Amino acid sequence: MFRLAVEKALNRIINVNNIDLAHIDNKIINLRVEDIDLSLFFLCLNSRIFVINNTHNKKTDVEIRMNKSSFLSLIKGAPLEDLIEKEDIEINGSIKTAQQLADLLAASSIDIEELVSKYTGDIIAHQIGLSIKQIKNISLKNNGSIIDNLKEELTTILLAPSRSTIFKDRTP
Amino acid sequence: MEKTTHFGYTEVDTEKKQGLVKGVFDSVASKYDLMNDVMSMGTHRLWKNYTISSSNVKEGDHVLDIAGGTGDLAIKFRKKVGPSGKVILSDINDSMLHEGRKNLINHGVIDVEFVQANAESLPFEDNTFDCVSIAFGLRNVTDKDAALKQMYRVLKKGGVLLVLEFSKVENQMLEKAYDFYSFNLIPKFGDYFANDEDSYQYLAESIRKHPDQETLKTMVLDAGFKFCEYHNLTGGIVALHKAVKT
Repeated sequence: MFRLAVEKALNRIINVNNIDLAHIDNKIINLRVEDIDLSLFFLCLNSRIFVINNTHNKKTDVEIRMNKSSFLSLIKGAPLEDLIEKEDIEINGSIKTAQQLADLLAASSIDIEELVSKYTGDIIAHQIGLSIKQIKNISLKNNGSIIDNLKEELTTILLAPSRSTIFKDRTP
Repeated sequence: MEKTTHFGYTEVDTEKKQGLVKGVFDSVASKYDLMNDVMSMGTHRLWKNYTISSSNVKEGDHVLDIAGGTGDLAIKFRKKVGPSGKVILSDINDSMLHEGRKNLINHGVIDVEFVQANAESLPFEDNTFDCVSIAFGLRNVTDKDAALKQMYRVLKKGGVLLVLEFSKVENQMLEKAYDFYSFNLIPKFGDYFANDEDSYQYLAESIRKHPDQETLKTMVLDAGFKFCEYHNLTGGIVALHKAVKT
């Protein structure tokens, strides 16, 4: 389920922003978070990313190793160079390829946080995450900034909550 | 190909199986959706939603739904691919295609193509589709290896194969309960709701004769796919095999 959620989050970002995946096309990238024994293989083909758990002996093009805290920093958008400089991350293979994957993970970070919050049972965090995700989606669709959309959304919630996109499509 | 094959628990001549399966589906076509809801208590909708979620299908994609029956996957794929995409619903059985066409029209979906085709010899060019799906259909195909090779052939590079099918239950307790349910209640439901006990007896038997998760995964890899993973749903009652053509 975790892999499917990451795969969906990445592909949504790719589709909504029409991201060119030329740097990682036909590449297999292995991301290993050593202290939580998480190993994901990202396979990029046909303008989309597949998250798999095993390459069936097919060669990996780039290997990224890190610990949990650097993984969280990465998905929160910490620059890859900073993490490499601090030796929090180890990359074997093309840095450019690793960078594109890191950028995609950072762009989808809210979804991953929301997913984590679901697992921790933090309902409030989950609801906040859900609302932020919706606002982020609106921003991506409208090509507007997240802050502007957030301001607009908060105003709508305060003035006319029923018109807010957050409550749209929710049955009472 | 072997001279005999299984039709449920009965061993039959290989060339006769297709006709026997046709007989089953001709008989159940008009009650197919109702029976799916009754037998799975609605869970088949969740399994199918999970399949759609796993498909990675996006706007503009070309999708082939094999053994598409009454079209519930095709309806969902149609929404995902948008006006620039294309969905083809294929089925070997004309009664099921007829039900599928009616169902799609009832859902206001008119832009799905219908093709009557045998999964063992698909009438499509190589490298055509971004996604090929087959939900609860593979176990009825006589030569599954040939069908999987055809699915590989018609997929584009980076295309996804999704095989949703009954499989091997993981937990022994659940397996016992499931066996009781399958062999004692499902044929009775078939008799009550569809006036056809035999077809639903075949359903229960055909599920037991279908390859388990690991065997099917090996068959998918043997068909040419480099990556194949499966996800057990509802304790392995159903498994979704997902493979990518590289």
